[in-house]
Amino acid sequence: MSEATAKRHMGLKTSRAITNTAIHVLLIVISIIWLIPFVCIVLQSFRMESTGQVGYVVPKVWGTGNYVKLFETDFPRWYTNTFIAALATAVLQTIIVLCMSYTLSRFRFKMRQPLMRFMLILGMFPGMLTMIILYRVLKDLGLTQTNAVPGLILVYVASSGMGYYVSKGFFDTIPMSLDEAARVDGATRAKILYKIILPLSKPIVIYTVLTAFMGPWGDYVFARYIAFGTSAGKNVAVGLYDWLNKDQISSYYTMFCAGGVLVALPVTILFLFLQKYYVEGVTGGAVKG
Amino acid sequence: MTQLSDLEFLKLSKGQKFGYKVSRFFLGIPKAILGFFLKIWEGLKKGGTAVGREVSDIVGTFIHGDWKTKLSFFIMGFGCLARGQILRGLLFLLFEIVFIGFMILSGGYWLSMLPSLGKVGPSEEYSEVLDAYVTKYNDNSFQILLYGVLTIFFIIAFIYTWRVNVKQNKMAEKILASGKKLKSGKDDLRSVVDDQFHKTLLALPMTGIIVFTALPILFMILVAFTNYDGTHNGYTNSLFTWVGLDNFNTMLSWSGGAGGTQSYAATFGEVLLWTLIWAFFATFTNYFLGMFVAMAINKKGIRFKKGWRTILVLTIAIPQFISLLYVSKMFAKNGIVNGFLMDMGWITQAIDFFGDASRPWLARVTVILINIWIGIPYLMLITTGILMNIPADLYESAKIDGASGWQQYRKITLPYMLFVTGPYLLTSFTGNMNNFNVIYLLTAGAPTNAAASSAAGSVGYTDLLITWLFKITTGAESQYYMASVIGILVFVVVALISLIVYNLLPSIKNEEDFR
Amino acid sequence: MASVKLTDVKKVYDNKVTAVHDFNLEIKDKEFVVFVGPSGCGKSTTLRMIAGLEDISGGTLEIDGEVVNDLQPKDRDIAMVFQNYALYPHMTVYDNIAFSLRLKKVPEDEVYDRVTNAAKILGITEYLTRKPRALSGGQRQRVAIGRAMVRNAKVFLMDEPLSNLDAKLRNQMRAEIILLRQKLDTTFIYVTHDQTEAMTLGDRIVIMKDGFIEQVGTPQEVFDTPVNLFVAGFIGSPQMNFLKANLVKGGSSYYVELLDVKLPLNDEQNAVLAQKGVGSQEIILGVRPEHTTVLFDNAEGAIECTIDVNEMMGSELHLHLRSKNDDKIIVRLPTVDLSKEQRASLSYGNKMYITFPAKVMHLFDPETEKSLIDG
Repeated sequence: MSEATAKRHMGLKTSRAITNTAIHVLLIVISIIWLIPFVCIVLQSFRMESTGQVGYVVPKVWGTGNYVKLFETDFPRWYTNTFIAALATAVLQTIIVLCMSYTLSRFRFKMRQPLMRFMLILGMFPGMLTMIILYRVLKDLGLTQTNAVPGLILVYVASSGMGYYVSKGFFDTIPMSLDEAARVDGATRAKILYKIILPLSKPIVIYTVLTAFMGPWGDYVFARYIAFGTSAGKNVAVGLYDWLNKDQISSYYTMFCAGGVLVALPVTILFLFLQKYYVEGVTGGAVKG
Repeated sequence: MTQLSDLEFLKLSKGQKFGYKVSRFFLGIPKAILGFFLKIWEGLKKGGTAVGREVSDIVGTFIHGDWKTKLSFFIMGFGCLARGQILRGLLFLLFEIVFIGFMILSGGYWLSMLPSLGKVGPSEEYSEVLDAYVTKYNDNSFQILLYGVLTIFFIIAFIYTWRVNVKQNKMAEKILASGKKLKSGKDDLRSVVDDQFHKTLLALPMTGIIVFTALPILFMILVAFTNYDGTHNGYTNSLFTWVGLDNFNTMLSWSGGAGGTQSYAATFGEVLLWTLIWAFFATFTNYFLGMFVAMAINKKGIRFKKGWRTILVLTIAIPQFISLLYVSKMFAKNGIVNGFLMDMGWITQAIDFFGDASRPWLARVTVILINIWIGIPYLMLITTGILMNIPADLYESAKIDGASGWQQYRKITLPYMLFVTGPYLLTSFTGNMNNFNVIYLLTAGAPTNAAASSAAGSVGYTDLLITWLFKITTGAESQYYMASVIGILVFVVVALISLIVYNLLPSIKNEEDFR
Repeated sequence: MASVKLTDVKKVYDNKVTAVHDFNLEIKDKEFVVFVGPSGCGKSTTLRMIAGLEDISGGTLEIDGEVVNDLQPKDRDIAMVFQNYALYPHMTVYDNIAFSLRLKKVPEDEVYDRVTNAAKILGITEYLTRKPRALSGGQRQRVAIGRAMVRNAKVFLMDEPLSNLDAKLRNQMRAEIILLRQKLDTTFIYVTHDQTEAMTLGDRIVIMKDGFIEQVGTPQEVFDTPVNLFVAGFIGSPQMNFLKANLVKGGSSYYVELLDVKLPLNDEQNAVLAQKGVGSQEIILGVRPEHTTVLFDNAEGAIECTIDVNEMMGSELHLHLRSKNDDKIIVRLPTVDLSKEQRASLSYGNKMYITFPAKVMHLFDPETEKSLIDG
C-alpha cells in the first residue's frame, strides 16, 4: 500500500478519536467555568474573618456565623414571604396557564386568532409600564407594604395566561382523535379535560408548576415597587439586593452569600428532581408553539 | 425585465443569479407598497360594510320583529323572559339595571371630567374640629383618568351585550317559527361545561389579563399624553392635564432638554442603538454557542452526556438575581475576578469593569459575555431537542456525497435549525430588548453617561430603553409621562421589527418544506 | 464500474450482538446483486458496511481490488439511494442533484450539463426548480436516483428504495430501474425484503437470514434448486407447500410415501440420493402451487384434500386445501375453463385431489432443514 493510500486509510477511526478527546476537554473546561460562581458563593458564605467583599475565594477562617446572623435580620420574614408567594403562584398560575393553553390548543372558535394576536401585541409593551398603576390600585386595596404578599401573588397570577406558548405547544402534540373518540362516547368537553387530557399531560403540568414556583424567587422589579418603604414587605430578591449596595456591602457581603445559598437550595433541589420534566417541556413545547 | 424560465435561470452563474434576484426584489418594492395601501383600503371598506350590515340588521329586527322583540330594545331580556328563557332573561335585565345605575351614580361624572382631568386641585381649608388647616382633596386626576377609561369600556361592553340581546330575539323568533324549542336554562348550564366550555375556561385568565395588563397599558398610553409626574400626581400636589403630543415632541426633539447639554432625542437614539446592539449579540451569541455546545454533547462517542447537560441545566435552577448580583460583584474593583487576574500576574492594576466611563465598551462587552454564561444552558436544551429530530439519513447521504463536517453543518443542520427556531429567535430578540433583569442587576446601567444624564435623568452606557424607563419612574422626579413615551416608542420599535422579520422569515414562506 | 469482494465480513455491536456473520461474496463488475431477506436479517447492515456508514467489525472489504475497510464513505467512490430518499428539504431538485458535484468543485456549466442530462433520463426536467415537498413519492424517488446517478460512481447502492411506494407505483418503478441499469452499466447492490423485486431485478440473489447467507444464486437457481427450507419458502409466491412425508428406500430406488400414496422419484433424484447414501427417513416434501395439478375427481396417485378457503384472484382461483394429516396446501386453478357445476362445487368441505410429477418435488430433512438433493 502506498503512502498516499495509507494516509487516506487513517481517515475514519483515528480522526474521530482525536475529535472526541478534544470535545471532552472542552466540556470539562465549560463545566468548570459554569460552576465557578456557585462554588465561590458557597465558599464565601462560610467566611468568618471579614464580612465585606474581598478579592479571594477560599475563607481563611471557616464558620457558620453568617448563617446564624441571617436570623437576626428580617431575612426569615423575606424568605417566608417569597416562599408563600411562590407556593400560591405555583398552584394558581398553573391552573390559569393550563386553562388558557388547553383552550387555545383544542378549541377552534372565531376569536381564537384575534385573541392570540392581541396577546402577542400586548406582550410587545414593556411589562414595567403597568407597574405604576397596579401599585396605585393595590395601594387602594391595602395590598402593599406589610400586606405585600397577597398583592404580589395577585399580580403574578392575574396576567400569567399570556405565557401559554410552551404548554400550548405540548397540548398540540396530543392527537385530536382522542378527544373525538371521547365525544362519540358522550363525554362533555369538561370531562374530556379532566379524564383524558390531564392524565396524559403530567410532564407539562410539572413543568408549568416548576416554572411558576421559580418565578417569585427571582422577581426584583415588582417586589421592590410594592414593598416600597417597609422592610417586612420585601421578598428575598429586594432584601438581598439592598445588602449589596454601597452602604451596606461591607457588613453584609458574606451574609448575602449565605442568604443566596439558602434561597438557591430549595429551588435547585426541586429542579434536580424534576429536571426530566423541565427538559421535556423546554425541548418539546418551547419551539413548536 | 422579462422573467426567465426555470432552465434559463439555472444556467446563470452564481453572480448572475444573485443579481437577478436582487433586481427582481427592488422591482417588486413599488408593487408591495401599493399592495399594502390597497390592503388597508380593503380593510376599511370591509369594516365599513360590516358596520353597515350590523346597523341594517338591527333596524330590520326592530321593524320585522314581534312586540316582544320590540320591547326588548328598551328592556333588555324582556324577549327572553316572555319566551320562557328565565335564566337568560334575568341575566340580561340585571346587566341593564346595573349599567344604568352605574352611569347615573358615577359613570356620568367620570365621563364629564375626562376632557379636563379635573379642575379643582387640593386646597387648604380650615377645620374647626381639629383647629388647624387641613388639606382637602378635591378632584383626583388619576382617578378621573382611570375610572373614565373604565366607564368607556363599560359602555362598549353594554353596547355589545345589547346587540347580543337584539340578535337573540331575532334568532328566537326564527327558531319558534320553525317549530323547534328554545334552549332552556338547564341547557345553558350544561353548555357551560360542554360546547361553550372554552368560554368558561377563558373567563378567568382573560379577565386577569384585561384588568391587570391590557387596561394598565391603555392607561399608560394615555398618560403619555398628559403631564403626570411626581409634582403633578393628580391629587396631593396638583392635577395633571392633557398635553397632547408635547411629550413626544420633547422626546424626539434634537434641541437641548431642560438645562441639559444633550437633547432627549440624542439620548434616546444612543440608548436605542445600544439596546438593538445588545439584543442582537445577546440573542445570536447565545444561539450559536448554545447550538455548538448541544452538538458537542450530542456527538456520537461522547460519554456522560446526561452529566454535562445536568451541570449546565443547574445554572437555570439558581434564581437569576442571585447569579447576576453575585457575578456583578465578582467583577467589582475589589472583587474575585480582579483578585484572580492580579494573582496570576496578568494585570497590575484592578480593572474597573463597570465603573469606567471613559471605556464604556468594556462594560458593554463584559455584560454580553456574562449574558452568554446565563443563556447557553437554556439554548442548549432547546437546540438539543431539535437536533435529535433531524433525520439521520440526510447526514449519511451528505457523507457519501463527500461533505465534510463543516459542510454538513452549513447545508443541513443550520438551515433546519433556523427554520424551526425562526419564530423563537424573533421573540428572543425582542425579549432581550426588554431584558431588564440582566442589565439592571449586573450594572444598573453603569457606567453613567454624564452628558446624557443631565437632561433625561440618570442614564448609563449599558442602560437599555427599559432600564432607563425604570430609572425615570423611580427617580426623583418620577416622570411617569416620559416613561410612558419611552414605553410606547419601545413598542413601536419592537412591533416594526417583528412585522418585518416575520414576513421575511423563511419559516413562513417555506413552511411545508420540512414536513 | 468495479468489483466488490467481501471476505469473512462480520458486524458485531457494542452489546455483543452479532448482526452479520462471516459474509463471503464476490460481486463482479457491472453485476446487479440483490440482498434479500426478512426484517432483521442483516442485509441493510451489510450494505451500510459497504457504504462506510457502519464500521466493519471483522474481515475485509475490497472495491476494485483495494481494501477499503478504513476509508471514509466519500473516498470509496460509491453512490447510495436511501429508503426515505434523504432529499435536502430546503434545496430545489436541481440543487439536490448538484450537491455532490459542487462539493467536488465541478465547474457550474458542467454541473448544468450533468444535472439536466440525468433529469432528462429520469423524466424530471420540469421539476428542477421545485422543492421536494412539492413532489409525489415517485418523483422524489427519481430525484434520489438522479442524485446518485450524476456521481458516475463505481458502485451503486440502493437501500429498499421502493418500500415507501404503493403497489402500482412499485411495479412501475421496478421496470424503470431495469431500464436504468441498462443505461448506467455500473455495479449495483440492491437491498429489499420483497422477493419479487429480487427475482425480477437481480443477476444474482443473496438470500439472508439472521445475519447468515442462506443461498447465493441466479433467480432461476434459487427458484428451481433451493438449498434449504427457508429459501424454498421465501422465494416464490404463493409460498411453496410443505407436507409431512416419508422417504423410503427400496433397493436402488426411492419413493416418497404421503398419506398412503406412493410417489416414485425420477432417475436423477435417485442417483443423487444414492450417491449421498441417504436412507429411509422422515422428510418434509415441498411442492410449489404452480407445479400442482388439481382434479375434481380421484385419480391414480392423487392425494385427497378438503377445501378450506377459496380466493378469487380474477383469472385464477387460489384454493386453500387441507390434507388428511392436516397439512395446508395452496393450489392455483385457472377459472376460464371451469364449468358451472365445477364452480359450484368449490365450497368449504368439498373434496379435491392433487397430483404432481416427481421432478417438482423438493425433499428436505426435518431437522437440518437442508435439501436432500440440492446444495
